[in-house]
Amino acid sequence: MIDSPRPRRTASRAGRTVRAGRARKLAARQRGIADEFVSWIDRRIPCFEVLDAEALELIERNADTVLEEVGVEFRDFPRALELWKDAGADVDGERVRFPRGMCRSLVTATAPREFTQHGRNPRRSTIIGGERTVMVPGYGPPFVHDLDQGRRYATIEDFRNFVKLAYMSPGLHHSGGTICEPVDVPVNKRHFDMVYSHIKYTDKPFMGSVTHPERAADTVAMAKLLFGEDFLVHKTVVTSLINVNSPLTFDATMLGAATVYAESNQATVISPFLLAGAMSPVTVAGTLTQILAEALAGMAYIQLVRPGAPVVFGSFAAAVSMQSGAPTFGTPEPSLILYGAGQLARRLGVPFRSGGGLCASKLPDAQAAYEAANTLQTAALAGVNFMLHAAGWLEGGLSMGYEKFIMDADQANMIAILLQGIDLSENAQALDAMREIGPGSHFLGAAHTHANFETAFYRSNVADNNSFEQWQQDGSLDAAQRANGIWKQMLRDYEPPPLDPAIDESLVDFIARRKSEYADRDY
Amino acid sequence: MATEQAMLEEEELVLSELNDDELVEQMHEDLYDGLKEEIVEGTSILLKRNWSAEKVLNESLVEGMRIVGVDFRDGILFVPEVLLAANAMKGGMEILRPLLSESGIKPIGKMVIGTVKGDIHDIGKNLVAMMLEGAGFEVTNIGINNSVEDYFQALEKHQPDILGMSALLTTTMPYMKVVIDEMVKQNIRDDYIVLVGGAPLNEEFGRAIGADRYCRDAAQAADVAPEMVRARRRGAISRA
Repeated sequence: MIDSPRPRRTASRAGRTVRAGRARKLAARQRGIADEFVSWIDRRIPCFEVLDAEALELIERNADTVLEEVGVEFRDFPRALELWKDAGADVDGERVRFPRGMCRSLVTATAPREFTQHGRNPRRSTIIGGERTVMVPGYGPPFVHDLDQGRRYATIEDFRNFVKLAYMSPGLHHSGGTICEPVDVPVNKRHFDMVYSHIKYTDKPFMGSVTHPERAADTVAMAKLLFGEDFLVHKTVVTSLINVNSPLTFDATMLGAATVYAESNQATVISPFLLAGAMSPVTVAGTLTQILAEALAGMAYIQLVRPGAPVVFGSFAAAVSMQSGAPTFGTPEPSLILYGAGQLARRLGVPFRSGGGLCASKLPDAQAAYEAANTLQTAALAGVNFMLHAAGWLEGGLSMGYEKFIMDADQANMIAILLQGIDLSENAQALDAMREIGPGSHFLGAAHTHANFETAFYRSNVADNNSFEQWQQDGSLDAAQRANGIWKQMLRDYEPPPLDPAIDESLVDFIARRKSEYADRDY
Repeated sequence: MATEQAMLEEEELVLSELNDDELVEQMHEDLYDGLKEEIVEGTSILLKRNWSAEKVLNESLVEGMRIVGVDFRDGILFVPEVLLAANAMKGGMEILRPLLSESGIKPIGKMVIGTVKGDIHDIGKNLVAMMLEGAGFEVTNIGINNSVEDYFQALEKHQPDILGMSALLTTTMPYMKVVIDEMVKQNIRDDYIVLVGGAPLNEEFGRAIGADRYCRDAAQAADVAPEMVRARRRGAISRA
């Protein structure tokens, strides 16, 4: 770029050579975005921190007090209680109380600071932790929303669509997990179709099923078919979401799935799920204390199951409206919680999960955009390593929005550039440009501009920056309407990444066999 | 990369070896890439092959810039690239202009353009000037801070088809009306097409001050200007 090479001469149809100005440009400007391999964001700017050392120590001390005095329940899962008893914790029924510092030392002794999650395409393998951010689509919504059909229950077709859209979004580095809940498939078998979609329609890393230990085991079995049995012995290919049933409770479903994954060295994201005011105290400091206590207990448990198994310090914190009890998003208090939780995770030396394009809006409107922007920016600056819910989230997670997904993916691209910080190379210093142009005049024709303009500024595919008249001529569309056109075009343009037919067949066979082994059930 | 470049060197393109059709096609590509030297060379070759200046202008340069305009409108080409293309076009025009005027061919259009009194914001106006040059216009750019007298002097001297006025400030844009009112008073308003532009303007403002047209951006100005000149000339012929 900098040397500004003369246009290439290429052989034309007639056999002579031409300088193919237009054809070359068209090809360059329309290059498929799915071809870009960016597997994480390298953060080169400092994290934004809101707590000083004294404050952090206070929160840590209080978390230890909670773990020691109040304790955590591990419900309907005797194995956890045995492991805790053996480790020296005080087990009283299902309540476990921990000597001060016990959970912390279990985590810091063996939990990795960062880990690689392999993709079936090695170029998509990502690293979770350290100075990196991995952007992951939304997780969990039973509904989907688009401008054409409004809000409706999600189907496996929607699930596949979102996997494809995530695959085609260069700012998303991960395919996510329950990108939406395919309610048209029986509850006890839908995990097969979901995991298969993440294998078949994308080559980015993905998350596994956590709704039953057997389903976690099926996920691991499918991963072994995909990567090979031996590959999983020391390598991580699935990262899964283990929610705490806050306050201070782990249930058998989550513990069962977490145990399966930990035993096979697969990663878990231990996520205190806090709607402050309902599942944690109404204050930022109180909520931070509870987050730390719950995350420590969960991550320490994983280290008891398999020392060294990758874990992520998760935090999902929002506030509830004290007026109605409804969760709220993109508000300032959870932002402060997020900044603080990031600091606590870094002091602990484990990867951190939080954030995403959270909002309470029902549709891709101004509320959706500003609440999501608030959370995305906060999460980016807070040093989040694994940013679940980075795209699509609507209605407090009840709905996955097609248009919202496109708008958030655009934000994700921008965050990548923001976190890269300021280029101070000689070219970036641009002294030659200022020497060339001098006072008055303009830089639009400067040699430096010519050498750099294509990559100089982020170009949004959603935002309209045209004149009023041009915008009017283009149909006076708002951002959501433009995003509607974009996702439809992406699905039309989608081409699946190649998958070895033998592997595909083995997966299809496995699913058919497993599905035939037991009856459909909706629980 | 090195081998690829070496390979490309071997296949050096010689414009004079192309037949007419190939050369014109190549000039469209070179205009697209903003290759001024190559456009100057191509223009000279066609003239040597006894093409009329008018034919060279229309078939190679104007048509090439039309393609550039389309791709600029469609967001494929960016501003710095269009400026480069316009600059290459200008190179060809410098050769053609004296020949065109010798043979009594009217230029595609002539324009006097300037920013109004009190306003020194001229980047947009300069883009319009360059785009119109790219469209084959003879453009006299009289710069910034122009009074009624400055505009009138330039109109008198250059006898353009179009007077273009720009303003960036809400406090300077009313001066456009001062200029137009004075043109009406002096009975010369109908001798010119008046185009106005600038961020705070809109179509309604253009109409209200008595301009012929408001142009929202440089690309539109380059689209509209030749069209209006052609229409006006047709009108003049039919009136005559």
